[in-house]
Amino acid sequence: MMLGQGPDIGEMVLHHTADAWTIDLEPITTIHLPRWADTHLGPLTMNLSPTKHVVYLIVAAVLVFLTMYLAGRSLRRQRAGENAPKGFAAAMEGMVLFVRNDIAIANIGENGAKFAPLIMALFFFVLYSNLLGLLPWGASPTGNLAVTGALAILVFLTVEIAGMFKLGPKGYMATIFPHVPGMHGPGAVAFSVFMAPIEILGKLVKPFALAVRLFGNMTAGHFVILSLFGIIFLFGDIKGWNWAIGGMTAALVVGVMMLELIVAFLQAYVFALLSAVFIGLMQHEH
Amino acid sequence: MYLALLAASEGAAGAPVSPFEVNGGLIIWTWFVFGVLFLLLKKYAWPAILSVTEQREETIRRHLAEAEQAHDKAQALLAEQQKLLGESRAQAQSILAEAKSASDRERAAAVQKTREEQDQLLARARREIAAEGEKARQELRREAVDLSLAAASKLIGERLGADADKKIVMDHLASLESLN
Repeated sequence: MMLGQGPDIGEMVLHHTADAWTIDLEPITTIHLPRWADTHLGPLTMNLSPTKHVVYLIVAAVLVFLTMYLAGRSLRRQRAGENAPKGFAAAMEGMVLFVRNDIAIANIGENGAKFAPLIMALFFFVLYSNLLGLLPWGASPTGNLAVTGALAILVFLTVEIAGMFKLGPKGYMATIFPHVPGMHGPGAVAFSVFMAPIEILGKLVKPFALAVRLFGNMTAGHFVILSLFGIIFLFGDIKGWNWAIGGMTAALVVGVMMLELIVAFLQAYVFALLSAVFIGLMQHEH
Repeated sequence: MYLALLAASEGAAGAPVSPFEVNGGLIIWTWFVFGVLFLLLKKYAWPAILSVTEQREETIRRHLAEAEQAHDKAQALLAEQQKLLGESRAQAQSILAEAKSASDRERAAAVQKTREEQDQLLARARREIAAEGEKARQELRREAVDLSLAAASKLIGERLGADADKKIVMDHLASLESLN
């Protein structure tokens, strides 16, 4: 196997997609992030020191906030002058309204406007996190299971807690112990109890799929791009072919990058859409 | 092959470096960062971006409600009008019926009156005819008395014709009449 002798492409791929305690801005510099001691929360032990993904999460959040804040300010100014919104602000308004109307309200229903701020924040946060990975030196925090898992847990809690408020204790319990139409007596009770684990599993599978889908899509894209770059390091020293290999690989990477750009938008859309659908399903459960 | 890569990377870095590793601290960080972003956006960004849309939606909602109200009002008015129309129609019909019955009564009364007058006229005519008849009969009787007296005086001399004789004949005629 070539891996043993040449540069370790596998190590390189994993190194660049995995979280780290450093931020590589090579060849300029490498920033070493501070390491804190472990935090004990009851039986849980975790390390809260910031990692590369934490930094990029914050960068994504700051960028989302700046974008939206500036767009809002610009829109307000344009409207104060009684002008139709134009340029960047109008584009942002269009995107925000799309997320609000066609993702949140269209899938949640009459309560959609109430959940719209959450869906909008999720969409743009995920989108910016996805896009950060496509920048030079960038990394996608959404290519980390902890991040996508945390967001999915948030969605899960929103779905269940909003469901409890909307359906009331009795209605909410019916989503765990389903009442089968046409069944009465002890048979129906037995069936409900029998179905409960399946219903609970169903509730948990949705956020799990949400987390794994986003993580998988982001990580896979980075794997593909980095692996394609690896071709250069593996075969670039073949005499007479190095330019051809370099050019072909670069073309392939550009193509995959384009694809990744679509995937970044698509996965943000899917994440927001499915969150809205899950909230809407729970809101309209009978 | 992947596992080999993973093993190689772990070996190289000395610590597990894998995108599949779940760092509990990162979960807390994600919640914190997303929570702060959510609150900031909700307070400072969304209202500015959505204000016009929300106002428009509010206006549309209000207009819809108003249109619905106006529709309900129009429906109520229409119903009321139809009720009024029905009432006035019924009233007109009752007036017509009353007029008809009044005219019927009137006509009947007129017919009755005419008949009565006719009857009266007829009765008077009859009475007059009867009276004329009676008068003629009396006349005839007087003529007869005078003729009989004249005839009798021719037979028994000039003496007859005095009032006493006239009375005798009249009495006789009366007795004849009472026999009839």
